Amino acid sequence: MDESLIIKLDNIIKRYEMGENQVLALDDISLEIKKNEYVAIMGPSGSGKTTLMSIIGCLDTPSSGTYYLDGENVEVMDDNELADVRNRKIGFVFQTFNLLPRENCIKNVELPLIYAGVKADQREELAIQALKNVGLEDRMFHKPPELSGGQRQRVAVARALVNNPSIILADEPTGNLDTKTGDEIMKLFHKLWQSGHTIILVTHEEDIALNAKRIIRLRDGKIIDDYVNTHQILIEDQKNI
Amino acid sequence: MKIIATKEAFLQAIHSIRANTLRSSLAALGVVIGITFVILMGWVLSGLDKAMEDSFKAMGTDVMYVDKFDWAGGKSWKELRNRPNITLDQTEKLISRLTSAELAVPVARTNRGKIVYGNQVYENIAIQGTTSQFSLTPSGTIDSGRFFNDIEDRMASNVVVLGWKVYQTLFPNGNSIGSTIKINNVKYTVIGVATKQGTTFADFMDNIVYIPLKSFLGTFGKYRRNFSICVKAGSTDQLDNVRAEVEGQMRMIRNLKPWEENNFSINETKTFETAVSTIRTIVWVVGIGMTLLSFIVGIIGIVNIMFVSIYERTKEIGIRKALGAKRYDILIQIIFESTTIAIIGAFISFVLTSVVAYITATFLPKLIPQVGFLSPMIPLDLLGIATVISIMVGIIAGLLPAMRAANFEPVVAIRYE
Ligand SMILES: Nc1ncnc2c1ncn2[C@@H]1O[C@H](COP(=O)(O)OP(=O)(O)O)[C@@H](O)[C@H]1O
Ligand SMILES: [Mg+2]
Repeated sequence: MDESLIIKLDNIIKRYEMGENQVLALDDISLEIKKNEYVAIMGPSGSGKTTLMSIIGCLDTPSSGTYYLDGENVEVMDDNELADVRNRKIGFVFQTFNLLPRENCIKNVELPLIYAGVKADQREELAIQALKNVGLEDRMFHKPPELSGGQRQRVAVARALVNNPSIILADEPTGNLDTKTGDEIMKLFHKLWQSGHTIILVTHEEDIALNAKRIIRLRDGKIIDDYVNTHQILIEDQKNI
Repeated sequence: MKIIATKEAFLQAIHSIRANTLRSSLAALGVVIGITFVILMGWVLSGLDKAMEDSFKAMGTDVMYVDKFDWAGGKSWKELRNRPNITLDQTEKLISRLTSAELAVPVARTNRGKIVYGNQVYENIAIQGTTSQFSLTPSGTIDSGRFFNDIEDRMASNVVVLGWKVYQTLFPNGNSIGSTIKINNVKYTVIGVATKQGTTFADFMDNIVYIPLKSFLGTFGKYRRNFSICVKAGSTDQLDNVRAEVEGQMRMIRNLKPWEENNFSINETKTFETAVSTIRTIVWVVGIGMTLLSFIVGIIGIVNIMFVSIYERTKEIGIRKALGAKRYDILIQIIFESTTIAIIGAFISFVLTSVVAYITATFLPKLIPQVGFLSPMIPLDLLGIATVISIMVGIIAGLLPAMRAANFEPVVAIRYE
């Protein structure tokens, strides 16, 4: 297998049984993503974007097909091994942030490190560093409900990158944010991409998708388009304006 | 690596309990009731145990009483009443013939003594006639003054040794020696006070006076009198030997045929113990039954609340799993939580029962002297047992909800609102 391949999906099918009805959320998806790619997955609501992300993120398993993550066959892993893979290799950013409301930012960002077995003082150090990277050093001791949407999503980004995973998976990360804060989050992703992470971004907003280097379009669980983004917005240039 | 997640799970459990104080206290209620039951029961029983042990010690573990009646209560009352009295003659014969015992002392007794001192009248006191040798048995130990001597025995002197309770009642200010009291209208001089026989639980043992046997027979009459013989074996190892000799000699003295049953009893503190142990067993069984019941209630309480708690936190659990928590991590977090609730419940019980024990043991005996055996402190081993039980309750109660939570599918749980 190609060394630079980090994700390889072969004929992935995901079926949901809804009583008598069957929903084919993913219909024979085959896909390869290389290390340090920046991919946007687009498609209308219900086209299977979240389902695909769940499978790539090892949160869910396909009904059939094989998935190699970093050369490892995910199919043969049990629950605990999947948890371990999620912990080590994947950083999640969700549309609804999914922070623990009762814990402060540091504690939230520490979570993946806890399950990685990092000691408390080292954990805090790493969490603070990650929060600094997203520009939240002055909000570290606040709890999520005390923060704005953009700030919450930055905490989530800090949490996603604290464990230094190779892949960042973001499912509509700007979906609950206004354009300006959305752009700030996109700048963070750009930075992460530049520092070597593989980024997979789900969105249904065209201008957000334009940040990516490659765009994959889904419809009814199928890939209908997969192309290099030539209309890339150069964030560095934007900054200079 | 496990240790870090475990420590975190514990902190998380504390956090969650503090965030839901009311709910957690409700969950702990059953445990509080259950543990309080166990501790209070154990407290009363251990008090009784100690009181009995003290009483046996006071009576002497190597002492046996040859008596018409059986203390253990195994025989029917009618059968016992139909036995012949042990006569003075038989008593003297037995005492002179015994070779293996350290000591054998005749005892005559009535429970219908009436003591008058000044204008105080004290009725239904046990009056025991015995000889000076009784002072060598544990019951005859002297606190102040002296026991009567063998000259007073032979002279049938009117001297009396007061039991502790009688002394305290008649002479609240102390200083009884040399005073004159009337026992059934006969004047006696107080020469000594016997040591307290142990406990208020067995305070009948202190509600007694000792006078020389001959004086006793003079005052209360010898006609149809029943005697008993206090035999001191010398050591508990000698008990079997001495018992065998006593039995053999008594049968010989009474001319019993080999096929005839003993028409007398040899009572030891041990026979007493067996009689009481039945009662204790019953108390334990009832207590344990009630405790089990309250524990089931306690467990159900925690289980219910833990289920509410995990469903309420479905999303949190989903997030944790998405970020790498394994089943074990979730399992341990929930079990820690239920166990902590149970332990907190146990500690509330400790405080509760300690206060109850202290107040009860300090003030109640003033109203009801019979409960004087209660200790103001809960025994430490009881607290240990209660802690272990509460931990078990917590683990059992947490197991089901924890397993449910550990099996949440992260992809479903994380979308839960
Ligand atoms: N847990 C589920 N049970 C049943 N059907 C589901 C479930 N999750 C998603 N689906 C269905 O699968 C399809 C794809 O859903 P999803 O991946 O969420 O799409 P998107 O994220 O693109 O909006 C939809 O038709 C949706 O109704
Ligand atoms: Mg979606």
